[in-house]
Amino acid sequence: MNKYILRYSSDIVDSPIIATTVLETGILINILRAKVDYDEAELIITILGDDEDQKMVIESLRRKGVEVIRLGENIVNDDTRCVDCGACIALCPTNALSFNEEWKLVVDGEKCIICGACIRACPRRSLSLQDLQEI
Amino acid sequence: MNNSNINSIIFCLMNKMRKTIEHINEKIRNGEVVVVRADEMPDIFDENPERAVREVDIVTTGTFGTMCSSGIFMNFGHSDPPIKMQKVWLNDVEAYTGIAAVDAYLGAAQLSEDKGFEYGGGHVIEDLVSGREINLRAISYGTDCYPRKKLNTTITIEDLNQAMMFNPRNSYQRYNAATNSTSEVIHTYMGTLLPGMRNVNFAGSGELNPLINDPDYRTIGLGTRIFLCGAQGYVAGEGTQHSPKTGFGTISVIGNLKEMDPEFLKAAVIQNYGTSLFVGIGIPIPILDEEIARNTAIRNEDIEVDILDYGVRRRDRPIIKRVKFEELLSGRIEINGRKVKTSPLSSIKKSIEIAEKLKELILEKEFFLSKCVENLPRDTEFKEMRMIERIPRVKDIMTRNVITAKEDDSIDFVSNLLVKNQIDQIPIVNNEGKLVGIITSWDITNAIARRRKRLRDIMTRNVIVSKPDEYIDVVARRLDKYNINATPVVDDKYNVIGIISTADLIRRDIEVGKR
Repeated sequence: MNKYILRYSSDIVDSPIIATTVLETGILINILRAKVDYDEAELIITILGDDEDQKMVIESLRRKGVEVIRLGENIVNDDTRCVDCGACIALCPTNALSFNEEWKLVVDGEKCIICGACIRACPRRSLSLQDLQEI
Repeated sequence: MNNSNINSIIFCLMNKMRKTIEHINEKIRNGEVVVVRADEMPDIFDENPERAVREVDIVTTGTFGTMCSSGIFMNFGHSDPPIKMQKVWLNDVEAYTGIAAVDAYLGAAQLSEDKGFEYGGGHVIEDLVSGREINLRAISYGTDCYPRKKLNTTITIEDLNQAMMFNPRNSYQRYNAATNSTSEVIHTYMGTLLPGMRNVNFAGSGELNPLINDPDYRTIGLGTRIFLCGAQGYVAGEGTQHSPKTGFGTISVIGNLKEMDPEFLKAAVIQNYGTSLFVGIGIPIPILDEEIARNTAIRNEDIEVDILDYGVRRRDRPIIKRVKFEELLSGRIEINGRKVKTSPLSSIKKSIEIAEKLKELILEKEFFLSKCVENLPRDTEFKEMRMIERIPRVKDIMTRNVITAKEDDSIDFVSNLLVKNQIDQIPIVNNEGKLVGIITSWDITNAIARRRKRLRDIMTRNVIVSKPDEYIDVVARRLDKYNINATPVVDDKYNVIGIISTADLIRRDIEVGKR
């Protein structure tokens, strides 16, 4: 599932960008995280649809002056540093972190919404964010 | 055959059946020893207790968690010209050198002077054991026998004459779990605790925990040989804060750092709290009789854990709920009808690995049991600190005549109030006198700049408040944390009954904003 960061500035922050895009394209958008301030907004979304649909939504957003960046693999865990203590698990709002049957920490990048809570709480500094990919 | 002969034969047989540590060591040597992990023992025991006692010789335990009360004694050898170290730093982390000239003790929780929370004593210890180079810096006042005043060099663990781990308090028998009932995120030694009891953090390895498998300390005490971070270490006696009567026993341990394995010793950063060290400990429990065997058959569902409210910044924190260790391990528990996620802070995976590793070492005839010289005491009391000064509470020093305003008041009116009374903030109350917001002189400036007219558009609604019975140190920390100058004091019904400011605290000589 592809995730995108949307950024836009104060000039368009009060217009219903997402709603308009959904109506225009007929493609559903799922908002995972949103931070809207008086001067700028940052959203993380997934687009429900195939590659063509993705392209259509991205183009529609860009026409409205929205910056669109695709997210890479989200959080990554450095197995050589991790001790599988699990301090990160309960902090994750989307259950992207869990133990497998052998009590080893596993990361489900699909579920991650890049909130960063786990990264700050990791006592081993083994979790990090992958670079964002420009498209 | 007369009676006394029969008696002596029976005595001999009994003696042969009675297991001793010497017998078990003999079996290790002969390759006949039976060793099981603490998490395997419950099923074995429940199936046939008598057979379990007869056949199992050793139960291995294991734990791997952050243990702040850990550290190392080092001897650096003498430089030329020699120095009597007065202060010493390893990678900018200060060690204690108030002992002989080039001896020092480095604690896991000591923070680096340049990297703060991100690097500390625990990291230096991990770097040493991993063979990495360490910067060693020292200063002194100079003496006739030790004239040198400054020293700056690079060392590795090989260069140290001795490096002894000595941990004053490790391996708690059990530990409380933590949650947070307040409306703010707090960062504690029990990890990050979300507001409104949205998570629970717990520690220890449950049924694998060393002391919980021998709760009467029948086989554990000074001289018990243990697995310590990959080396063979020893229990040095009771740990600090050892509290056997409440089931919170601890041990102090000692071991040779040079023999340790970085796989079983790892530095830790505890967010906004400090640094620590993950210490790996495994204790072998010799199964000498049925009582010892039964104790090692403890299961995660038999272990009760209290969940405490770490939002209460007092020594005695209220108990929110009592649960089983098993429930905590499941990842979800229920508090007030809501599902709450749980996180262990100790590594269960590593704990199992340690118990397994200890088992292998014994089977490979590389680890023999020792009989402790003195068992851990069972009557130690953990006393609170004796206090001779009374710590003031908010109600003792707050300003009681609070100037307040109403939501409908104009900005002009409120700015006049600020100027006339020479104050920087005004709590906003509704008609019943309950707090609904706060206005600072900065908000007024902001309102003018952005041409806002109504008070309700500019006031802060999420007000940081204090309670009259709180200690002023708690309020000082709050002002510091939120970078504010004052908090309204409210009663249980949210009526404003006072205000407390940095000025009030400074008058009382409480440090604010020291960070």
